[in-house]
Amino acid sequence: MNKDISLVVNGEARYINVPADKTLLDMIREDLNLKGTKKGCDAGDCGACTVLLDAEPVNSCLVLAVEAANKEVTTIEGLAKGGELHPIQAAFIKHGAVQCGFCTPGMVLAAKAILDKNPNPSVEEIKEGIAGNFCRCTGYKKIVDAVLASGRNIQG
Amino acid sequence: MNYQTVGHGLVKIDVMEKVTGTAPYVDDLVMPGMLIGKVLRSPYPHAAIKRIKIEKAQALNGVKAVITNQDTPRVKWNSAGFPPSQGAILVEDQYILTDRARFVGDGVAAVAAVDEKTAQLALDLIEIEYEKLPHVLGQDKAMEPEAPIIHEGVEKNIVGHLPIVIGDVEQGFKEADFIFIDKYTCQRVNQVSIEPCGAVVALYDANGRLNLWTSTQMPHLVRRIVARAMDMPVGKVRLIKPHVGGGFGSRLGAVNEPIAAMLSKATGKPVKLIYSREESFVGSESRHPIIMELKTGVKKDGTFTARQMTAYIDAGAYATHTPSFAGPVGGWFLAMYKSPNVKYDGYSIYTNTPPCGAFRGYGNPQVVWAVESQVDEIAERLGLDPREIRLRNHPCKGEVWAWSGWEIESCGLEEAIERGSQSIGWENRIRQGSNTKENSNQGQETVHKVGPETKKKGIGMAYMMHVSGARPMLHETGSAFIKMNEDGSVNVVYSSSDCGQGSSTALSQIAAEELGLPINMVHITQFADTDTAPFDIGSHASRQIYSGGNAVKVAAGIVKKQVLEHAATMLEVSASDLAIENGQIICLQDETKTKSVAEVAYNALYGTNGFEISGVASLEPPGNPPVYAAQFVEVEVDTETGIVKVIKVAAAHDVGTAINPVCVEGQIEGAVQQGLGYALTEEMVFDEMGRLQNPNLTDYKILTVKDMPEIDSIVVQAASQTGPFGAKSVGESGLVPTAAAVGNAIYDALGIRIKDLPITPEKVLGLLKAKS
Ligand code: FES
Ligand code: FES
Repeated sequence: MNKDISLVVNGEARYINVPADKTLLDMIREDLNLKGTKKGCDAGDCGACTVLLDAEPVNSCLVLAVEAANKEVTTIEGLAKGGELHPIQAAFIKHGAVQCGFCTPGMVLAAKAILDKNPNPSVEEIKEGIAGNFCRCTGYKKIVDAVLASGRNIQG
Repeated sequence: MNYQTVGHGLVKIDVMEKVTGTAPYVDDLVMPGMLIGKVLRSPYPHAAIKRIKIEKAQALNGVKAVITNQDTPRVKWNSAGFPPSQGAILVEDQYILTDRARFVGDGVAAVAAVDEKTAQLALDLIEIEYEKLPHVLGQDKAMEPEAPIIHEGVEKNIVGHLPIVIGDVEQGFKEADFIFIDKYTCQRVNQVSIEPCGAVVALYDANGRLNLWTSTQMPHLVRRIVARAMDMPVGKVRLIKPHVGGGFGSRLGAVNEPIAAMLSKATGKPVKLIYSREESFVGSESRHPIIMELKTGVKKDGTFTARQMTAYIDAGAYATHTPSFAGPVGGWFLAMYKSPNVKYDGYSIYTNTPPCGAFRGYGNPQVVWAVESQVDEIAERLGLDPREIRLRNHPCKGEVWAWSGWEIESCGLEEAIERGSQSIGWENRIRQGSNTKENSNQGQETVHKVGPETKKKGIGMAYMMHVSGARPMLHETGSAFIKMNEDGSVNVVYSSSDCGQGSSTALSQIAAEELGLPINMVHITQFADTDTAPFDIGSHASRQIYSGGNAVKVAAGIVKKQVLEHAATMLEVSASDLAIENGQIICLQDETKTKSVAEVAYNALYGTNGFEISGVASLEPPGNPPVYAAQFVEVEVDTETGIVKVIKVAAAHDVGTAINPVCVEGQIEGAVQQGLGYALTEEMVFDEMGRLQNPNLTDYKILTVKDMPEIDSIVVQAASQTGPFGAKSVGESGLVPTAAAVGNAIYDALGIRIKDLPITPEKVLGLLKAKS
């Protein structure tokens, strides 16, 4: 059974007809054609599919698309504004926090959620905030460095 | 050496796309008319397929093809990504889809349908009558005389036996003051790239060519393997590699490309076949469990008189890498420590489990786990500092390295041990759990040992050597084609197999350095395309920078020569008086005579007798300089729960010249995460029916950011003689010594020696109990 939903995706209003059992992840990838959100497990384990739903980080593979109705979704494509990288994206680049890049969109959004709440998080708070996002390439060290630094950056 | 580009931690070339989510991976590709593929897998560990009925599945609306073993080409093939070489033993024992299931998860049928749901429904409609056969798990059991035979004609399931004999170990044991006999084992672990392994789109096009977009580490070799499996000419296969979401060995060979190829051939449509996380566990190859029996003879002074290892390697249900893999396993063992007498026997044994293959380190983590644990014991018994016994016995620069049979070009182990010791605070180390001389200092608590009674701290270390490529066991052919555009920039056409490690960036740095160009004037092909990129072996054996780098450097040298010669004509000077610096031609004799490289390139293309400045190199690199590492680990063990907390890892790695130090650190740090998982938490667990119990990331535990200790990656740069700008390698080595160093740290803390990985709290508590 399909449902019509409306939602805001990266600042734009979207109207979508979506099967009731389709995940938000599949809707983002297939219906919205936003491929930056990754599928690493489809089971809520890896965090690669992290997006912000009304500013809260969620594993979009665990959320039904219809649950996003009338809500605001931010995906990795929505971060850079007017050709300018978001400071977190810039920090990931600067600190060498990106290897294969498959965890990166989810990781960046999880980091954004941390920093939106607390622009100057401690290392422990950062670790807590990205604990649900697996990375198999970096050992997380440079990722934590990047989030820490972008915290300072955002604060100015 | 002072370089302009080499040695600088430049930003990687692919990061803009990756942080903005625009970098395409296979699953992101969409093609007109594209179908979705799915594989039906055996629920039994060993069963003959008596009958298979596909009519209902075929009749389902939206199903475009259903294929089984009867449709597969009548050739058996081997999935391992090896170039046919002296050291490659490629047993061909599988069909694309099997007619006899040999493990739970063995592919027995596949479908292509208009969408995923339909494909899944179709799988459920395939009716199979199995005849269950007796099965066997565990390589030791599989070798017993009464064990069921997994492949006809392979007696005792031993698909390979590789012996190496140097000198006379029996004599060596007679000369020894002490003999140590131990058995070490290790578990099966999965690479767990975050992009699941097994991601391909296949299009068998109207011209009869097979196009594959696949997430692979080996574009050219996988093209060859798929051609073999499909029984078609290599030239009719084209393989394109988009971004790859982590490899670590899992994509070191064909994964599901042949299945997708068959589905596309059957439908004439592009077919996407993406493995789920669960399939990625059972449908790709994982790290070999090995039972290692060690016997080592030593003199009182800590020199070795004889070293012997018998390795029983669990191949899983198909040979793939294993009979060849037994070679490097022997190589790692015999090359670590000098001894006049060495004996090695490596047995490759079929079991009814998913096949094992390549995983970062390729047997070295297993061997180093065993050898370095035992050497720790030997040092203790002899009253030697663990660092000292390594420094006395490791092969050094100028000596022949037994792995390759070639002279060692450079060695940074001493520096690595020194800097690693400093970082971890080795001097504060007091053995508290063991009965050593040092133990007499027990009363002398240092800062390092302070903590609650039930928590014990310890420090351990382990050393390793690793390769830069696989020569002379395997061919190491690498090629690069470099052409100069009219703006003076170059395209480096390369069969890139970068899986995120940064090899494309480092290769660009090598080209820029050699050419005297700024890095932004070097454009390397990120997506390998076998139709256009020259032949390269791919990402394995930590070879990209050494093997690929040599090819890139030679090709760049050819281009540079042409630039200088053409500039010399334009400037009417001798080419030998010219140099290129930062994109500018400099005349060493006369400052006024100068041109930009862009002017020269433009003039070459559009002047009289136009030509494109370009160079191609295709070669095997001259050697295989080994890298060294020493890792130091500090742990805190809770004696009540058995939980091991790793406090710090100091990973000191001699990589030769670090072309891009930031990437080098990233390689070490990421590998340590995998090494710690190997040591402590990761294990593929099978039940007695051969079913994987934890094919998901909840129950298969890779380390999260919260589990990670402090990592100090220490880059030691003992430049090689034959590597590009002195580079050696770093890709795999970061996880090789980690498990052994953790085990040795636990011994230091508690005086218990665990001999089977992973080191779980249950095992720690069990041994603690036995000790008290
Ligand atoms: S894909 Fe959603 S958590 Fe892994
Ligand atoms: S960069 Fe590869 S998984 Fe994080």
